[in-house]
Amino acid sequence: MLHSGFLQSSERYTDRPAVEVAGQSLSYGELRSRAASLAATLQQQSPPGGLPLTAVFAYRSATAFAGVLASLFRGHAYVPLNRTFPVDRTRTMLFRSDCNEIIVDHDSATQIEEVLQGIGKRLLVLMPEHKNVEEFREKLSDHIVLGADDLSPAETCDLSRVSPDCMAYLLFTSGSTAIPKGVAVAQRNVMHFVEVMVNRYGITEQDRFSQTFDMTFDLSAFDMFVAWERGACLCCPTKKTMFNPSRFIQSGQLTVWFSVPSVAGLMKRLGVLKPNYYPTLRWSLFCGEALPVEVAEAWADAAPNSQLENLYGPTELTIACTLYRWNRQTSPKDCLHGVVPIGEPYPGMDVLVVNEALAEVAPGEEGELLMTGPQLTLGYWQDPEKTAKAYVIPPAKTAVYYRTGDRVRRPFGGNPLVYCGRLDHQIKILGHRLELGEVEAVLRQEAGVESVAALGWPLTPGGVAGVVAFIAGASIDAEALRIKLQEKLPGYAIPREIHLLPELPVNINGKVDRRALQTRLEGTA
Amino acid sequence: MNHISADEVRAAILFRLQGRLTAMGIDTQNVPDDFDLLTEGVIDSQGVVEMIAAVEQGFHTQIELEDLDPEDITVIGPLCRYVAERATFNADLQTPVGKSKLA
Repeated sequence: MLHSGFLQSSERYTDRPAVEVAGQSLSYGELRSRAASLAATLQQQSPPGGLPLTAVFAYRSATAFAGVLASLFRGHAYVPLNRTFPVDRTRTMLFRSDCNEIIVDHDSATQIEEVLQGIGKRLLVLMPEHKNVEEFREKLSDHIVLGADDLSPAETCDLSRVSPDCMAYLLFTSGSTAIPKGVAVAQRNVMHFVEVMVNRYGITEQDRFSQTFDMTFDLSAFDMFVAWERGACLCCPTKKTMFNPSRFIQSGQLTVWFSVPSVAGLMKRLGVLKPNYYPTLRWSLFCGEALPVEVAEAWADAAPNSQLENLYGPTELTIACTLYRWNRQTSPKDCLHGVVPIGEPYPGMDVLVVNEALAEVAPGEEGELLMTGPQLTLGYWQDPEKTAKAYVIPPAKTAVYYRTGDRVRRPFGGNPLVYCGRLDHQIKILGHRLELGEVEAVLRQEAGVESVAALGWPLTPGGVAGVVAFIAGASIDAEALRIKLQEKLPGYAIPREIHLLPELPVNINGKVDRRALQTRLEGTA
Repeated sequence: MNHISADEVRAAILFRLQGRLTAMGIDTQNVPDDFDLLTEGVIDSQGVVEMIAAVEQGFHTQIELEDLDPEDITVIGPLCRYVAERATFNADLQTPVGKSKLA
């Protein structure tokens, strides 16, 4: 089971730190005890029936980590929710997951009443950081509210046994409509990933991991489960520290760094990627978006004792499924369009590069990347239609492959896989997947205008830094609209600029001419 | 060469963000020293980069933030004082000049 590694580490390294978060350090023993107490409470108090899912509405707090483990201890998958997202989005995720129970940390509690509004079922709301929950009991009278004084003793936790086919977590990603879609990831998917990673990186109890990713981003599962598998410590900075994590790496004596390339790009920009600034690092890992060569070079100089690897993978293939090791001498010739290759598939994973008919292209040609293997996830949560479209059996194959929608160059003559772009209108901002169609759907709703377009902009060496919008109509208050969008979209998805045009340019098919809009942006840059 | 005051940096940053601040009902004349542009939702991480770039361009200077407390990076008062302490305006040269640790 996914949490077995943590349990073994908690026996071997009981007093060693498992996580440092919000100014406190929790040992393996303490974290286990907290998680077991939460799990026991849920087991004993949750209404019978319902799906084996527990929502964890907590952010960079001890309860966030204990909540994830508690869900797994009790045989449930965890559903991470994020208070930095708009409440509407959080409510949609909770509603779609169909959870019967939710763990809430102190600072997320201010949103809980709004999140549960109209949810239409009775939930167990567990608030372990609140001693007094009377106020919440009154406000949430349709639900069962439990606080710190209601927690069951850790010893009464009955560690559930689950099949490797059971779900470990349910993560929501951007969909092409205004509704995010849930990816169901099985225990065996994550266990395979963790095994590959701990062996490759030789993780020990002496390691100290960065924990840069929010839990709603699946790369956070690397941080937690790879570190805990071998007794290492997870170091979780505040969101603000992520703007300049220089001191966090140095004073935290980190040995394993894992972030989106944008963080490294920002550090380069702020002048804190200087030679040998980060000598304690032994692994420097990047994932979530294209890694620009210049960023890889600067980071490699700043962390000269580390090996730098570029990881690639969509949530549907469990965290990451290909990787490439940077080599100062030989890598520059492998790079295409100034970005680092995505390398080779993980052990057990199979790559197929195909044309539109899903037939394999010749070596050296470009096509869509399809992959299968032990990290192929279960599909989209309660959405067989979308699952059938993306999880397919290509001609002359018997296995189901996931269509990544990513354009890659098929390896030839020992060359690595190279990422060439997207086949659709999906973009990545700070590693977050964003379907431009989702932004457009929300724009239509909020502006009450049919003719809208969202584009990734400005362009950066690794992709795009944000999104801008075009709307046909001069009578719209763009700043007021922007504020309304904040209630619907996460921060990274909110258009940085809203351009109002009398009408949007269209191409020969009558569709919005995105190229013309792009040219317009280039003209004003 | 002229020194840049924290007030000048502040004025430049707030001018740049004027439209957004006004839409949020914030008077740019009365932004408190501890106003955090990030937590108040005025800018995001890309906004930090753009803001620094704009200040650098506007004052023909180069700013490195390694000594600034990461918690203060988007707080208007400390940020402006930090920038002012390290940046020197050089209108004649029209080239980047900085007093921070340049490599």
